[in-house]
Amino acid sequence: MDIIEIENLTHRFSNGTLGLDQVNLRIKDGAFVVVAGPNGSGKTTLVRHLNGLLRPTAGCVKVDGVPVQKDLLRARRLVGMMFQDADSQIVGETVYADVAFGPENLRLAHDQISERVACALAVVGLKDFADQPPHLLSGGEKRRLAIAGILAMEPKVIVCDEPFTSLDYPGVRQVLKQMLALHQAGHTLLVITHDLEKVLAHADRLLIMQKGKIVRDGIPAEIVGELETYGVRAPRVSQLGMEVCSWLN
Amino acid sequence: MAQLTTFSFQPGTSVLHKLDVRFKILFVILISFISLGGGLMGLGTLSMLISVLILHSRLPLKSGLREFRFFFILLLLILMARMLTTPGVPLIEFKSIAITRPGLVSGIRICWRLVIIALLGFLFVFSTRSSEIKAAVEWFLKPFGFLPVPHIATMLGLIVRFIPVILNQAKETAEAQRARCLDNRKNPLDRLVRLGFPLIRRTFEQADRLIVAMEARCYSENRTEPALCATRKDWMALFILIVISGWVLFISVLL
Repeated sequence: MDIIEIENLTHRFSNGTLGLDQVNLRIKDGAFVVVAGPNGSGKTTLVRHLNGLLRPTAGCVKVDGVPVQKDLLRARRLVGMMFQDADSQIVGETVYADVAFGPENLRLAHDQISERVACALAVVGLKDFADQPPHLLSGGEKRRLAIAGILAMEPKVIVCDEPFTSLDYPGVRQVLKQMLALHQAGHTLLVITHDLEKVLAHADRLLIMQKGKIVRDGIPAEIVGELETYGVRAPRVSQLGMEVCSWLN
Repeated sequence: MAQLTTFSFQPGTSVLHKLDVRFKILFVILISFISLGGGLMGLGTLSMLISVLILHSRLPLKSGLREFRFFFILLLLILMARMLTTPGVPLIEFKSIAITRPGLVSGIRICWRLVIIALLGFLFVFSTRSSEIKAAVEWFLKPFGFLPVPHIATMLGLIVRFIPVILNQAKETAEAQRARCLDNRKNPLDRLVRLGFPLIRRTFEQADRLIVAMEARCYSENRTEPALCATRKDWMALFILIVISGWVLFISVLL
């Protein structure tokens, strides 16, 4: 079953720039999709349509069979988004308050909120940090906090926009482990990244975007050789003719 | 790792952290009013109370005072204006400029009051979550049905949320400019302009990112607010404060 259906999606910014040009895309429930492309190719613009942060100029986006614009709240609950800048995503004054922010917006009862927050913090391994100010967490912990904030809303799809930016090696491994655990738990994962080396071994689909269009779509092993044609750096091992391996091994 | 400004909520277990936010707002208003009518003895009593609260709540006063440094310049200007413009017996005279005794006393009194009010605000922000402030403002404004209460409460909550963000941006921008030898420019107006414009631009960009992140997590004015619950501790604190206020007013009238 397709959890995301995009038909003829076009987005033109207020200054006239074409962000997306007639994009068609279907993503199966439980898939692990990596979206790559040079800067300004429309990756972030595309995913921001999935939960109605941007409205289409033309075309339609459906999440779990329902058009996003028809029920914005449902779309935002079902599609959780982890932004590139983890600091700007932090809303609460403590780790607990930050994770509780989403469920509070869903108008859940206090005991339900506590339950969801405890569960989300346990999943990402931040239970012992509940009363800490989020700004004191490390880069990897902040990303995990962002994931907990999303999980507390019980989404089906999780979008990670450049999740490895400015993370050290242990931080990358922490976040990657978390992403894989979420995928194994049945979530659909959409990862936007330039750093294909870190994640490509785990993905089952690779999309390459250029000038607001999806120019390549397929199994990573099949199209990894074409990456540099589209201005995306291919993983080093694939340049040497070897199979891309996991950063967790 | 970003170092957060001290002018923001810090989790803690002090009495101030545990008090109901509505009572805390009431205390801030009460102490501010009392400080306006209080003499030097009264201000001394209030200062003692605030010192005890600062020590008990473990407010990082040293780093806080560093952030208040521009406020102290303002206080100095107020003190000088008072000293030089209030008529009375001169303490020091230099040509046509005279510092008078009543001017000095009045200047110290005004500055002291302002310091008390600023420290109160610091203690309040340090011990109160912005979501609690929003809930309390909504509670206080509930009787005024004609006002857009959720709008006002949301705006106040976001303002408090944004103070540390703006201070952090200012600190980072200033550091980046110092790294490029801004200190060599001696004109303070030029330095202010060069700091001000990028700061405003960055603050708006940061606000924009925060709004998008909040929107992505279904933020609206109708959300589950923190439960406001007055306990015996709150009423006891109110009683103690009323006794102290009575004492301050009494000594102010007496002396």
